[in-house]
Amino acid sequence: MSKMVAPENTPVWVDESRCKACDMCVDVCPAGVLSMRAEPSSTLGAMIDIVALEACIGCNECELACPDFAIYVAEKSEYKFAKLTDESKARAEAIINNNYRLPENYGK
Amino acid sequence: MAFNYDKYLRLEKMPTLWCWGCGDGVILKAFIRAVDKMGWSQDDVCVVSGIGCSGRFSSYVDFNTIHTTHGRTVAFATGVKLANPDKHVICVGGDGDALAIGGNHTIHGCRRNIDINFIVINNFIYGLTNSQTSPTTPQGMWTVSQKAGNIDPTFDACDLAIASGASFVAREKITEPRKLEKIFIKGFQHRGFSFFDVISNCHINLGRKNKMASAMENLEWIDNITMPKAKYDKLSEEEQLNLFPTGVLKHDENAREYCDMYEDIKAAQQGKRGVITQDEFEKKI
Amino acid sequence: MELREIISTGNDLNAIAAVDAGCEFFGGYPITPSSEVMHTISDLLPAAGGAAIQMEDEIAGIAATAGAAMAGVRAMTATSGPGVSLKAENLGLAQMAEVPLVLVNVMRGGPSTGLPTRVSQGDVRQARNPSHGDYRSITLCAGNLAECYTEVVRAFNLADRFMQPVIVLTDETIGHMHGKAMIPTVEEVKKGIVPRKTFDGPAEEYFPYECGPTEPATLNPMFKGYRYHFTGLHHDKKGFPTEEIETCRKLIQRLEDKVMMHTDEIELNEEFMMDDLTGEEGEVLIIAYGSVSLAAKEAIRHLRADGIKAGLFRPITLWPSPADTIKKHTDKIKNVLCVELNIRQYTEEVERVSGRLDIEGLYKVNGRALSPYEIVEKVKEVF
Repeated sequence: MSKMVAPENTPVWVDESRCKACDMCVDVCPAGVLSMRAEPSSTLGAMIDIVALEACIGCNECELACPDFAIYVAEKSEYKFAKLTDESKARAEAIINNNYRLPENYGK
Repeated sequence: MAFNYDKYLRLEKMPTLWCWGCGDGVILKAFIRAVDKMGWSQDDVCVVSGIGCSGRFSSYVDFNTIHTTHGRTVAFATGVKLANPDKHVICVGGDGDALAIGGNHTIHGCRRNIDINFIVINNFIYGLTNSQTSPTTPQGMWTVSQKAGNIDPTFDACDLAIASGASFVAREKITEPRKLEKIFIKGFQHRGFSFFDVISNCHINLGRKNKMASAMENLEWIDNITMPKAKYDKLSEEEQLNLFPTGVLKHDENAREYCDMYEDIKAAQQGKRGVITQDEFEKKI
Repeated sequence: MELREIISTGNDLNAIAAVDAGCEFFGGYPITPSSEVMHTISDLLPAAGGAAIQMEDEIAGIAATAGAAMAGVRAMTATSGPGVSLKAENLGLAQMAEVPLVLVNVMRGGPSTGLPTRVSQGDVRQARNPSHGDYRSITLCAGNLAECYTEVVRAFNLADRFMQPVIVLTDETIGHMHGKAMIPTVEEVKKGIVPRKTFDGPAEEYFPYECGPTEPATLNPMFKGYRYHFTGLHHDKKGFPTEEIETCRKLIQRLEDKVMMHTDEIELNEEFMMDDLTGEEGEVLIIAYGSVSLAAKEAIRHLRADGIKAGLFRPITLWPSPADTIKKHTDKIKNVLCVELNIRQYTEEVERVSGRLDIEGLYKVNGRALSPYEIVEKVKEVF
């Protein structure tokens, strides 16, 4: 199988040069790991942002949903993924309800 | 699992010209994963695409690729395949390319049961040329060629493929990329015409004018109009209206493939066997 | 050149020639009066290990043929006027993507459904530009039974040399004519096969559409380790779509120049009884091609018996036209008569290249052949 090695100790990583800011990965992430941030220089003025790296459960939904080869997830053998918690689920819901952006000062 | 797509991509052509959130990219990735799992050498694969957004498919993948005229993918592919029966040929077309202008070639590719894999990216509209009605656009939707509302009835592409004689017919949607990859693999493994109706989203050229401006709204709509076949079969006829069954809808492993049958012709013309007669075929009329 | 005798029809000779010339794929559709090409080749080709398929329509016929050619084999299709009209778009794709193939057009009465079982030469103008856009057609015209064989062989070699479709025009008269022909032996044909150029170096250094400004693309057969892209869009050196200004300009100019800068390799004519035409008063030059030339030759024998010095100039390659050669003759000889089974389709080309507007013409468009008698009468009438 055609595989790529994950960067060290990283559950999920993005290639910003390929991201078209379509929101799909943010929409499917159950753990609120991903969000969009404002980025004036890019398509639609937004860019993918990893806001809760350690909460990633390794479900791979983001990678499967991304049409542009912009996001990748490590293998279960390469990284010890987190479990899905209520806190993660709540954050995911907050992000989606806020037009795919993590609300300012969330959790603070 | 970090799948390395770059091996199969023409990296100098990235990024794709498809809109943000377009299902074409998801289908491309599922296709690449399926080809990788088949273990095919890139040199043994030919991808033929038509005209439309789906037509750009072939320029992004590092195989032997052809970008044909509108609707003629299956016809070109028939020439490639019949001249190289042991190679792997995949056609990609949109709902307009495959079912409107290419309808006749689709029918006869199915009828011949030639070992070609035909991925029809069905987003219910002519996307690239900006929102004209396609044979699958739901009645009542706004299109640029029928601004007062589409009156054209639609048809079921899978019904057409089954009736025309394709021996493998399946339908999936882009909101289920794992299932999509699985049916691609099943269809690629099948020796015969494999027809895939892949339900996809076009929020830019269908959704925006039909109250589904975001990609996510289109995906939700797709989920609402599809249902796995096992569950679909249990519904009443009335409940089945406006629903598409997904999964493998037909899989005939006994149907003879066209290139295999053509070997009989070669043998007959070379005097190695007798003429082919009616008795060799199950369906005699 | 070693010859052999064969008794056959024009259509059958097209098919036999294709197989002898190494054709491995035929994608056809029935249309009168060309169907017999498909019937015969559907037996001969699989016997030789190739594939012949009757497709579902004319467009599928050319598409499958082009697909096989893109995959790397010699491929052919045969049709008549209405079929060429249908095939036009994909002929354009073959021109643009530089795909070699042979298209036989057994001409019949047109336009539209016309006269399906009767003769005409009404597709000559169409053969020059069957599809839209800028490109140069290579069109050959068989003038007798033997040429139904030799011109198809030549067409395959020209198609591979220039990497584009080559049209071979015959007509209902010659297509259905049954008689004796002296044609090259199979060994002669095999010796003369010049296949398309291929690239042997490392795949990373292979750019199919990068070539000199008057050269055709170098398109390797598929599945051999050289992966590239075919498209009808404007494309760069690897075959990928582009709109870049200079790339586009150079591509179109190259499609033009790859043919027009090498017409010496394409031009072929017959000059029948022209040796003693010196430009004196009373000499007559007849220009005719295809089956009409058979009647013209007979007419010339009659005219000479009546004391009129007449000769026939017969272009075998119709497009690009043998402009300089025609002009050389029309500068010299005052009385020029064009004879064709259409209305002025090649006459207008003769006028263009000769610069003369006083070319006489004999035209017949009712689906019947011209007899030598009609040509003799016309010459006596106008000159």
